[in-house]
Amino acid sequence: MRMGRLALVDCNNFFCSCERVFDPSLIGVPVVVLSNNDGCIISRSEEAKAIGIPMGAPLHEQKEVIRKHGVRVFSSNYTLYGDMSARVMSILKDEVGVMEVYSIDEAFLELGEGFGVEEARRLRAKVLRWTGIPVCIGIGETKMLAKLANRHAKKNREKTGGVFEMKEGAEELMAGVACDGLWGVGKNLARRLAGLGITTALEFKKADPVKIRKSLGVVGERMLREMNGTRCLELEEMPPDRKGVMASRSFGAPVEALEELEEALANHVARASEKVRRFSLWAMRVDVFLQTNYFRKGEPQYCPGAGVNLDQPTNGTGELMGIAGKLLRKIYRLGYKYKKVGVMLGGLVGSGAYQPVLAFEGVREEPRVDIDKIVDGINRRFGDRKNPVIMRGSMGNRRLGGGWRMRSGRKSPSYTTSWRELAVVRG
Amino acid sequence: MERSLDLNEELIRNPASTFFVRVKGDSMRDAGIHTGDILVVDRSLTPTDRKIVVAMIDGEFTVKRFRATDGKVFLEAANEKFPRIEVSGDQELVVWGVVAFVIHQAR
Repeated sequence: MRMGRLALVDCNNFFCSCERVFDPSLIGVPVVVLSNNDGCIISRSEEAKAIGIPMGAPLHEQKEVIRKHGVRVFSSNYTLYGDMSARVMSILKDEVGVMEVYSIDEAFLELGEGFGVEEARRLRAKVLRWTGIPVCIGIGETKMLAKLANRHAKKNREKTGGVFEMKEGAEELMAGVACDGLWGVGKNLARRLAGLGITTALEFKKADPVKIRKSLGVVGERMLREMNGTRCLELEEMPPDRKGVMASRSFGAPVEALEELEEALANHVARASEKVRRFSLWAMRVDVFLQTNYFRKGEPQYCPGAGVNLDQPTNGTGELMGIAGKLLRKIYRLGYKYKKVGVMLGGLVGSGAYQPVLAFEGVREEPRVDIDKIVDGINRRFGDRKNPVIMRGSMGNRRLGGGWRMRSGRKSPSYTTSWRELAVVRG
Repeated sequence: MERSLDLNEELIRNPASTFFVRVKGDSMRDAGIHTGDILVVDRSLTPTDRKIVVAMIDGEFTVKRFRATDGKVFLEAANEKFPRIEVSGDQELVVWGVVAFVIHQAR
């Protein structure tokens, strides 16, 4: 068992903060970012929170408030958020070495001996200066405690300066936190705890483990141990290369037919996407390449590649196969003897791209990320059946005739990924 | 094995903090910055006196020479037609990043 401490670094209002970095006119005014299809509000600046716009609210219900307060509204720009996320994560990685990218805007860091509140403040200032993204940092012995510390740091930013460590006096803090404010405790679990007479985080921490195990099972017991400083959730580290996961293989004998290439590619996509899911990541870019045998000098050579940036991150095998297949058909030429086909899933971002995927409900128990499940979970939390926050769009939908298209009418420019869309500075 | 030269190595010292922006206007002409140029901006560099910076002022980005002398901070153009930008009481001068390189198409 490791007795070190963890930090949870969480970007503040991440999507809104990304928009703000590249558009100074957004500073000091309320900003919101919408879900896919411009349905609901999924990120709010502090100013937007202050005027009472709720998380997950359907856009049409907020029209009046938006007009009255001059709220700036954006469609989600996942290319931008993914790029900014990668920058923040690389700074954190340089700092500590061992970390888990938990979602597009959150990471757990394994802290060394000398890393305390002062170092966290310095790190926070560095991320802000280098990327323009403000973060809060919570430190604790376990993921749950780090998460709780982070929550306190964020809620009392003026006092904490965005950094807080769980130490002596933590119990006082816990007494003021309701159970459903704890990481992984949903409405259901909170209700069951209330049934046991447990309503605050402190009461939960001091609860009888046997009793908790009996009524909440092993999941509840694990949470209880985490609350008391024993790590039950370890860090899931990143794959060695964050830039992407590649899968390719040389054929035993040269291949000419498209169908055979498609079949091989499908296998590679399946392997690569499985790996991406295993690390709870989503890909924002797909590249496919073909190679003829370079060493057969007498034969015609052809080594093409093609790639595409995705409007929204995905790790679904089916979706990725569809995209990869399309790229393959684009580059495939008849009359060459191919030696190799491969796929690269790039622009990897954390899987909880919209909101935290609850660690106790799914991901750990079953590493395969079920997109539908995540989407459903988010909709349960922030929307209702009539007004889902997130629609499950996919490349597939578009491929099937194109009647249905993602609405994204208020998307900001791709400031960091398109030469034509760079931010303009007055010379 | 030797690789071909990669311009990124030369122009991007710190990938996490480096951004590209496009210039519109001639106020920095005499400093070799022209309309249409791309600036390589490194936010990890510290703005000191005479560095060329991208700053935010009145809700816009502007590229100017940063001046910090005698406890006064202001922005200076490199073109006599443009006055210096003094920062008055209710204005806030925020330096967004320091310009590390200018990419200019030769014509």
